[in-house]
Amino acid sequence: MKPLQLTLIEAVLIALLGLLAGLVVNHRLVLDAFAGRLAASGPVAATASAILPQPVLLAEVRDLAAAGALPVDARDGALYADGHLPAAVSLPLAEADALMERFRQQVAAERTLILYCNGYGCPDSFDLGLRLISEGYRDVRVFEGGFPEWRDAGLPVVKGNQ
Amino acid sequence: MKHSGQVSYHLCRLLLGAVFGWAGAVKALDVPAFAGQVAAYQLLPYAWNYAVAATLPYVELLAGTLLLVNIRSKPAALLLLLLNTLFIAVLASVMARGLSIDCGCFGPDAGTTPLQALGRDALLLALAVAVYWQHDRYLPPPTT
Repeated sequence: MKPLQLTLIEAVLIALLGLLAGLVVNHRLVLDAFAGRLAASGPVAATASAILPQPVLLAEVRDLAAAGALPVDARDGALYADGHLPAAVSLPLAEADALMERFRQQVAAERTLILYCNGYGCPDSFDLGLRLISEGYRDVRVFEGGFPEWRDAGLPVVKGNQ
Repeated sequence: MKHSGQVSYHLCRLLLGAVFGWAGAVKALDVPAFAGQVAAYQLLPYAWNYAVAATLPYVELLAGTLLLVNIRSKPAALLLLLLNTLFIAVLASVMARGLSIDCGCFGPDAGTTPLQALGRDALLLALAVAVYWQHDRYLPPPTT
């Protein structure tokens, strides 16, 4: 076998070993990502016994929104004004204390809520979900892909304040 | 001449290994955040961003470590050479599509634009080529 071929095979083996190590260390995260369980797989979910926000994927978000669920934008107001899901209301996590009373007056506790923020690695929607559950909301979903996945899928985006 | 060549080889090897070892370690520490940065490239379906974020740092970490300890450094350099070529192609596609994103090359909050990252990857590619090319030229063949 030629030296280049041997070196290439060894390079592929190193890559495979790295891939394997990554999958071993992060297998749960990857499995949860493919199963759409990410929002409920964090340390909060592992220890909490109360109702938790349920993760939803993009296709489910579209179906739920069409069926009357309310998208709730957990990002700050400027990002909301820059672009948000159609019919979404703004409820930034940082302003939840100040805005919760008005939100409760406007949105019935039975309403299905779809919370989102900046997608991957953004915990605000999940944290806001916990807060809304503690306020009495019982059907709280978290769209983990968030605004970036919605926008990147070419779905309609609305600009401006509510 | 041979001595200076050996010094150059080891310097390139250590620098390349340190850069990729560091880049891999930083990203491996916060996989969900790195997944977000992979997603910003808008190239992969949702869950695959996590698969890449979970594995790529370990490939970089392993290749970087092998270079640092000078074990299998030639295939490790070849792997990083191929990876860098892929990174450059991906960054070029980002620029062609007009996306304004953080490259995510060294984990969250690194704040590098695609153009800066492209320049840096070109340098790292040259470094990987240098290690690969210098390996047989300046190192004694293994005794068997």
